[in-house]
Amino acid sequence: MSSTAMKKKVLLMGKSGSGKTSMRSIIFANYIARDTRRLGATIDVEHSHVRFLGNLVLNLWDCGGQDTFMENYFTSQRDNIFRNVEVLIYVFDVESRELEKDMHYYQSCLEAILQNSPDAKVFCLVHKMDLVQEDQRDLIFKEREEDLRRLSRPLACTCFRTSIWDETLYKAWSSIVYQLIPNVQQLETNLRNFAQIIEADEVLLFERATFLVISHYQCKEQRDAHRFEKISNIIKQFKLSCSKLAASFQSMEVRNSNFAAFIDVFTSNTYVMVIMSDPSIPSAATLINIRNARKHFEKLERVDGPKHSLQMRMR
Amino acid sequence: MEEDCKPLLSPVRRGSYTHTGSTDSLDRAVRRPFHVEPRNIVEDAASERVTAEAAVLSSRVHYYGRLSASADRLLSPPDHVIPCPEEIYVYSPLGTAFKVTGGDGVSKNPSIITIFAIWNTMMGTSILSIPWGIKQSGFTLGITILVLMGLLTLYCCLRVLKSPKSIPYIDTSDWEFPDVCKYYFGTFGQWSSLLFSMVSLIGAMVVYWVLMSNFLFNTGKFIHNYAYNVSISDTDFGTNGSNRVICPFPDTGGDGRNASGISALYQLSGGNSSYYGNSSYYSDYYYGNSSYNGNDTSDTDLFDRWWSKTNTIPFYLIILLLPLLNFRSASFFARFTFLGTISVVYLIILVTMKAVRLGFHLEFHWFDSSEFFFPEFRLLCPQLTGVLTLAFFIHNCIITLMKSNKHQENNVRDLSLAYLLVGLTYLYVGVLIFATFPSPPLSKDCIEPNFLDNFPSSDILVFVARTCLLFQMTTVYPLLGYLVRVQMMSQIFGKHYPGFFHVFTLNVVIVAAGVCMARFYPNIGSIIRYSGATCGLALVFVFPSLIHMISLRRRGELSWPSAFFHSLLIVLGVANVAGQFFM
Repeated sequence: MSSTAMKKKVLLMGKSGSGKTSMRSIIFANYIARDTRRLGATIDVEHSHVRFLGNLVLNLWDCGGQDTFMENYFTSQRDNIFRNVEVLIYVFDVESRELEKDMHYYQSCLEAILQNSPDAKVFCLVHKMDLVQEDQRDLIFKEREEDLRRLSRPLACTCFRTSIWDETLYKAWSSIVYQLIPNVQQLETNLRNFAQIIEADEVLLFERATFLVISHYQCKEQRDAHRFEKISNIIKQFKLSCSKLAASFQSMEVRNSNFAAFIDVFTSNTYVMVIMSDPSIPSAATLINIRNARKHFEKLERVDGPKHSLQMRMR
Repeated sequence: MEEDCKPLLSPVRRGSYTHTGSTDSLDRAVRRPFHVEPRNIVEDAASERVTAEAAVLSSRVHYYGRLSASADRLLSPPDHVIPCPEEIYVYSPLGTAFKVTGGDGVSKNPSIITIFAIWNTMMGTSILSIPWGIKQSGFTLGITILVLMGLLTLYCCLRVLKSPKSIPYIDTSDWEFPDVCKYYFGTFGQWSSLLFSMVSLIGAMVVYWVLMSNFLFNTGKFIHNYAYNVSISDTDFGTNGSNRVICPFPDTGGDGRNASGISALYQLSGGNSSYYGNSSYYSDYYYGNSSYNGNDTSDTDLFDRWWSKTNTIPFYLIILLLPLLNFRSASFFARFTFLGTISVVYLIILVTMKAVRLGFHLEFHWFDSSEFFFPEFRLLCPQLTGVLTLAFFIHNCIITLMKSNKHQENNVRDLSLAYLLVGLTYLYVGVLIFATFPSPPLSKDCIEPNFLDNFPSSDILVFVARTCLLFQMTTVYPLLGYLVRVQMMSQIFGKHYPGFFHVFTLNVVIVAAGVCMARFYPNIGSIIRYSGATCGLALVFVFPSLIHMISLRRRGELSWPSAFFHSLLIVLGVANVAGQFFM
């Protein structure tokens, strides 16, 4: 009962060619079910949906032929699409030469959101930033951010600048997912306690579908600032390879004389990665600790669950 | 269930909304190897072998590679994202690492090698026609024209060399001049530059056929006369003595000259024209008589019938060369390029030795012609400019040649030096042959478009030259045929070797053209000047100037003197072609 009520939409929208499909593939690889042309022959819109965080469905909207789309579909079926939206992610191509048109579509989307899902969170991604010269990136992004904030009123939008060729894409999506997890601060405090108890060097919490790092704890400074993205990519690659053999990845242990790393299923929405630098602690001990912590964290999630669904029903 | 085997991203047509990359499906950009992360992660290396950004990019690229099909360009890293060559290492799994030594896999040569390569490529068979060209335009005017044409073609060559760099926003590092023409003029530019390039190549191949027939004829004749001990004293009109120079076509030598050989003969015996040589050339001339030892006249007639320069030898060559043309790859023949250098060097030595032996015979008549000499300024000068356009032609491959220069900033200097060397070589050969041509007995009009024809087939030095050149041409001819085939086939059919039948048809057409020319019109001077002027019109004069003016205009930097000068170049190119037909 709570699952159906908890299912919310995440709309990923943007002009054709702005990079939505690339982003979707890079972040959500291997969990894509294609649903093309569900809305009839007259409208050329491509739809896909992905589940993540257990109860969120990412609905990818590929906006193709602009004018027909805006005139026909957006006015006639907008209620269907824009109802129950939890998140709107709008992608702008920084190289686009039709700024006016882009803003016009964006505002139409915002209008529809205001009417149907006024509590939705709005994120704007200024994409393909690698095509801008490095010394101009900050300036251009700030300009865009101001414009978008101004246009989005009364809704509040959070802007990120992204490119698939640096870590900004990863960081933006991590931030987005971070804001979508219902009790993330509580998770973080409990994670820190957990890490200190088991004497781990670093503990990471990944979102289950995308392996985006949503929270982490480290007891000392690490050298490589890009390690989150690297781990995320490596595990996603590994999952892709596994699925090619019709196998599914559940857990992993990597051990050598210097460290031991454990990646395992944690709660219904998350994976955990625990890194122990003390090789004398046997693996079994760490695995038992993780298993016990799992029960505790699931209780955390479940505690907030019914409250959330209660709020839902009252709407 | 999702299909796991299909790539997650469908290939996207880049072209309408991105300005990077080309819509060509062939990946023509050279992809540098990107480093493989060291597998040995246990040791804590004191120094970072690669930057953190490069390491992250590597893992990102690996991951993206799994999301798309390998041939797909959608998620392949663009060039501005890949780190600079100094940061790229190649690791072997055994732990050693080495840096990628800059460049795109093209070996870099020092300047002297580049200059030599350009000199070698430009030196063609047109060196044989330079004395004739100087004769056609007059001595002084000829030298002036040679210098001026050298400078003009050098300037146009520099324009060609710089044309890809003035194209904004596009990576033109592997473009050749036809690609630049396609960018500025669309498919018209692409096809017309291809067509004119073909004109020069096929013109060169026809000239080669004529020359090969010539050399084969003379070589065979020499061997035959040597074997049968036939001494041909004077079948041809020429000087006497050990340094014999002949005039093969006394009454048809040159255009518009109507002194017949007999009248010249009578004038000679009583003539008192001054000359600078110190040997006496007034001797008995046997004009039209042949004296043979023995009574094998019939055999000689038979030999002459079956070994004739225009009637039979062009056909014998088909048996030798047509199979060579059908080879799939020309890399075997590319190994023999050193023969060309040896031949040119030998020609220079030959010319020097002949000059030493013959002495100088120059007389300066400025505007009137005498019976042996021509005025210094003649109206037939367009013929020399036509020859020189082909002699100085390298514009269709200069970009590729210069790409391997180590210090690219010296390109202008190196190209100028190469042109200077080429010009000096041509000047040396042309002036020496012209000046030492024994003019009191023979008129300068006798200088043949192929100056080796002015020496009898019994001359040993020239025999060696002819054999060398014959062998060299036999190895260059298939190379030229390969170039023609590759360019035509890839434009028309899309691939280099669409099928044996297509390639064979093309080869038959080219060979037929050569045979017809050798049979009916073996005047290489004319062939060279027509094909030179035609292909020079487009690739030397018109396209480089137009492209330069258009790129300046787009940048808003076109000034009136520059526009005037370049338009003048275009007019000169057209006048060059027109002059060939009217003079």
